[in-house]
Amino acid sequence: MNSYIAVAALISVASLLFMLPLVPALVELHRKSDALPLVVVQQNAGEIRHFANSFRSYVKNLQPILQSCVTSGTSDGGILPDGAEYVVLGRVDEALLRGFAEGEAGHPVLIMAGVDLSVPPSAKFSKDIYAGGGFGGGEKNSYRAILGEREVSLGVGSEVLRWVHAVGMFTAAYGCNLYGRISSDLGIRLGDECSFSRMNAPHIEIGRPAAEDISSTEEMTVPSSANAGKLPRLLHDGDYEVLAGQVMERDIVIRGNLRIRAGARICGSVKSVKDMVIEDGVSVEGSLISASKMRVGPNCRIHGPVIAERELSIAGGTRCGTRQYPTTVSAPQIEVEEGVVVFGTLWAREHGHVVAKV
Amino acid sequence: MIAVLYAIVFVICVYTARHYFFTLNRLFGFQRHPYIDIDTADWPPVTVLVAAHNEEKVIANALSALMAVKYPEDKMLVVPVNDRSTDRTREIIDKFVTEYPGRIRAFHRVGGKGGKAAALKDAMELVETEVILIFDADYIPGAGLIKQLVAPFFDLEVGGVMGRVVPMNAGTNLLTRLLDLERSGGYQVDQQARMNLRLVPQHGGTVAGVRLSALREIGGWNENSLTEDTDLTYRLLLNGWKTAYQNRSECYEEVPENWAVRIKQIMRWAKGHNQAMVTYSLRLLFGNHRATLRERIDGTLLLGVYAMAPITLVGWVLALSVFYEGVAPLHGVIALLSLTAYAALGNLAAFFEIAAASRLDGTRQRICLLPFLILGFAVSIFSVSRAAVSQVSDLITGAEFHWDKTERFRKAM
Repeated sequence: MNSYIAVAALISVASLLFMLPLVPALVELHRKSDALPLVVVQQNAGEIRHFANSFRSYVKNLQPILQSCVTSGTSDGGILPDGAEYVVLGRVDEALLRGFAEGEAGHPVLIMAGVDLSVPPSAKFSKDIYAGGGFGGGEKNSYRAILGEREVSLGVGSEVLRWVHAVGMFTAAYGCNLYGRISSDLGIRLGDECSFSRMNAPHIEIGRPAAEDISSTEEMTVPSSANAGKLPRLLHDGDYEVLAGQVMERDIVIRGNLRIRAGARICGSVKSVKDMVIEDGVSVEGSLISASKMRVGPNCRIHGPVIAERELSIAGGTRCGTRQYPTTVSAPQIEVEEGVVVFGTLWAREHGHVVAKV
Repeated sequence: MIAVLYAIVFVICVYTARHYFFTLNRLFGFQRHPYIDIDTADWPPVTVLVAAHNEEKVIANALSALMAVKYPEDKMLVVPVNDRSTDRTREIIDKFVTEYPGRIRAFHRVGGKGGKAAALKDAMELVETEVILIFDADYIPGAGLIKQLVAPFFDLEVGGVMGRVVPMNAGTNLLTRLLDLERSGGYQVDQQARMNLRLVPQHGGTVAGVRLSALREIGGWNENSLTEDTDLTYRLLLNGWKTAYQNRSECYEEVPENWAVRIKQIMRWAKGHNQAMVTYSLRLLFGNHRATLRERIDGTLLLGVYAMAPITLVGWVLALSVFYEGVAPLHGVIALLSLTAYAALGNLAAFFEIAAASRLDGTRQRICLLPFLILGFAVSIFSVSRAAVSQVSDLITGAEFHWDKTERFRKAM
């Protein structure tokens, strides 16, 4: 072979090999198949009611049919523009409902009811339900999503896979599994052994708290935000203990374990880098944040957000937030005892559970 | 010469290991997002400072977006900090002040020292709230962003907060696509890994917040700093405050669309970062303060990132020199194994990080552009080295730093 050709061939092959990794890059640069900016949610702020509001808009066009069915006491059905099958109930027909439940060899269908709706037990509803009146579920049912214009009540051992929003009170009986978002404009009540994820309501009751815990007889006179930056900060390296009955008019940051003894009152906010234990009857006017595990209660009053980065357990009689100043209680793992009341949001990122004793 | 070369190789290996450690943590480790679930609270009053110097093309977008956010109106005051603008910035701001009475208070600065830190320092006379958020004028915050950036301040350890920056003009040309990838790696992996590992997330000076009491404690804005964000990060750290990174608090920004602007931008960042390195690295590493050992080590490595470019260049020159002088720093199989290991792992660490970030972002095809990052890398290494050299010569000659504002590419409203 001519040496010039050999050199040219060598250079060509080497160039080809060098260019090879650039071929997909050049193709992508030319095609721009993935050139749009990363999607940043601009309009909604992650509101818990987002799905419920979207669903309400989605079924808005079926409202005239619903009204007509309610007036005539009949049922109707059809297919929405996106191909979803629906049935509109103007009267309660248990046999009809059982037919829609998949457990009874039916097929999934979106249900819209204009009257109080009571669904049979041991049924699986894998399409969304709209309840224009009250909604009562039988035992061991499985729901995808429910929008209730009045109260919504789930039977023992039921589960919710995506979301529920009740304009009235939401109640879950013993042993319900609430995997998605649960919200109410009035209040939420969870029975024993329920599991939960994200909930929001003016008040969330665990079990049957004392009436005064739910009422607003003990409201804060000063919002917790009013003290922001005004109190001195105690920054302590190592473990720390606040004595029983002690009143501390400062913010506390502890880079160790923290124990606040019974009856103490903290006028500011509290942070611990390790575990935090809050004993009986402690009052904290600001936030309570632990970078590890936190145990609160019983009978504590916490006004600001309660955040634990690992686990959180709250004992009975504890109130977080107030009706006037609702707050957020959040941790990956949460255990709450009967008698706890949270005003605002209770959010277990991985698993929340109602237990008899924390 | 060999000893210096060994030292350089060691430092490069440390940074390589750091890249891999961060990426693996992000892919498989425990992810910390402690404040992102705070959606209900008695929200504190907040002042939002919008730094603006000749921003007629973008300021209206930023102010409109801020007027649409979901935060109690009576608790949020927006202060556009008009820093000696000579274009229509003042006129646009004043129009918004009239349109939204009580919600926007303009701060028009007509003289004084140049630079963002100096402007923010002067604007502090209008700030009365404990929580301050800072945006550059080309940023467009979403509806939930203010609450997300305020939420970490419920934690009393937090002195500063940083959100994630997302290029909105990512698809414009090769440069913007490369910057999009770089940003993705920097925030999605680097910053979040530092948050996960309780290291030193960096305050970025925009889509960011600072606690007023912390700012006062550390002596306010440092107008002599070329990058007030890096300076703030380290002064907070040395005074016992943490900076929290919120990866899910995303905000659109505009990235440079031509190489000249990009080179100016990265040279300014490099000079500011190096200035902070000289000022704080020894104090951080050996000083008597509250930073943990891991914060001291990570903080020092973070301070050194822009010094790595000239160090790498020197390493290349030394490596070539020892080769032509006939010196063999390593022998036989060891040399071969070292070369192979470095080729397989070392020089790909940053690319691995960016690829992991793209995957975490749920994007796929843009990963194909990774080979082009060598181009961005080459431009960066020479620009940053040039910045370091000019910084040293400025120091010797006593020349003052000239502030270069990043050019905007959006069409004016």
